[in-house]
Amino acid sequence: MAWNGNPETPGIRNIGRTVEFTRPAEAELASRIDWPDEALMVAIVARDEHAFAVLYDRYVDLVYSASFRVLADAQLAEDASQDVFVRLWQRPETFIAERGRFLSWLMSCTRNRAVDELRARGRRRKREGGPLGEPDEAAQPVFSTEPVDPLHSAQLHEEQAIVRGALAALPRDQKVCLELAYFRGLTQQEIATRLHEPLGTIKTRIRLGMQKLRRALEQKV
Amino acid sequence: MAGEHITQEQADEYAIGSLEPVLERAVALHLADCAACRDMARDAERLASLVALTSPRLKPSPRLRHRVFAAAGITRPSPFRRIFTIGRAAAGLAAVIVAAGAFTGMVSIKGQIGDLRQQNSDLQIQIDDALSQKVELAALTRKLDDQEKLAAQLEERSKDDRELNLAFMSPTTDVAAVTSLDETGNAIGRLVWDSEQKRVWFVASELPRRPAGETYQIWVNSGGRYYSLGTFTPDDAGFARYETVVPEGLNTYETAVVTIERAGGSPVREGPTVFFVADLSRLRN
Repeated sequence: MAWNGNPETPGIRNIGRTVEFTRPAEAELASRIDWPDEALMVAIVARDEHAFAVLYDRYVDLVYSASFRVLADAQLAEDASQDVFVRLWQRPETFIAERGRFLSWLMSCTRNRAVDELRARGRRRKREGGPLGEPDEAAQPVFSTEPVDPLHSAQLHEEQAIVRGALAALPRDQKVCLELAYFRGLTQQEIATRLHEPLGTIKTRIRLGMQKLRRALEQKV
Repeated sequence: MAGEHITQEQADEYAIGSLEPVLERAVALHLADCAACRDMARDAERLASLVALTSPRLKPSPRLRHRVFAAAGITRPSPFRRIFTIGRAAAGLAAVIVAAGAFTGMVSIKGQIGDLRQQNSDLQIQIDDALSQKVELAALTRKLDDQEKLAAQLEERSKDDRELNLAFMSPTTDVAAVTSLDETGNAIGRLVWDSEQKRVWFVASELPRRPAGETYQIWVNSGGRYYSLGTFTPDDAGFARYETVVPEGLNTYETAVVTIERAGGSPVREGPTVFFVADLSRLRN
């Protein structure tokens, strides 16, 4: 496929060889900073490292925050974030544009990677006879100071606020069930056991929670 | 699962990740083969992924950037870093300056996005084909498993037949003809009692099936008291072969009957008698 959106200057797009930038890296980055996610992914498929750098800086906090929410461990959250971005670079074609927004895809990848790690850690602890239960809450990450990309960050913050509002508006028991399933990777049976509630009650809470979330967000996000 | 569509509730449970692993795999297999359900599941996944946005905003350590670029095999990450150390105002100004230039690029990018979407669509078709083949393979594997189970059942049945034939030929075995009463029509049967091995068989054919809530129960009478040997159900062809052990303390019996009792069996003989072992001189081998 011809890549008309990028200058065809030799060395700009490199595959398996050292980069020889004909423009300063800062200029290359700045030229992509306003590109939408999907355009950046197109460029990444064509091995555009600058596009990858922009996408990384746009979403690293979000990916790391979601990973930390699942794993509650700064080191493990960084490992999971690294895996997500490396996979994005190595297998960008797995993002199918028809499947929806890039952000949804990225968050799904992040959640699945973090939950896999959480379950693997649970198995390791069980095998090694270590404590089971909540992950280590003592490890705290560095908190964010300021956004890198103000315009994009503002949109993202607005979207986060809408979703947080919708989740906060759910009855507490429904919210807890959704969060245990999504962030802790627990099945309905495991949630029922943890909350000492019948399985049917948990199924109902998840069903109602998703219904309300859908109604609250379908026009806004 | 393969033959029926998933519900919205199942799609939501799949997306939020709360399904039990077995069911989750079944749903995934179904989605590989059903475009309508796949669309529904994707919508649910989009909704579920928004939940991740509610995480408190945190910042990883600065070294993560270097680690990611090194692990990705990107050779010169260090120049990139500098751009993001410029201040907020400078970034905003740069964004405005490049906006016009970026706009031109964006127009052509839209065309590229269209091309990529077409490629992605083709890729999706290939993925769907591959998944369909995977599903077919899974179905064939399941069929093979079923046939292996059937072969094992037939082998078990053959073994049972051998044991029954041996019992027929044993000199220590009593074989009694069983008389059918009105209820069972043309049914015929034999009661085989092996006192040495302490085993007993009841074989009958042309037995009518009992309605729900009823079952056949076989009893033997010894010393004026009836002992239950258990309940049995004929197959669709009306054939029944029931095998059990002789009740503790019994060496022989005086008579035997088959009654119709409530489902699950009765502790005492209550229902109507449909079979009766009349001749207890029996057909001693």
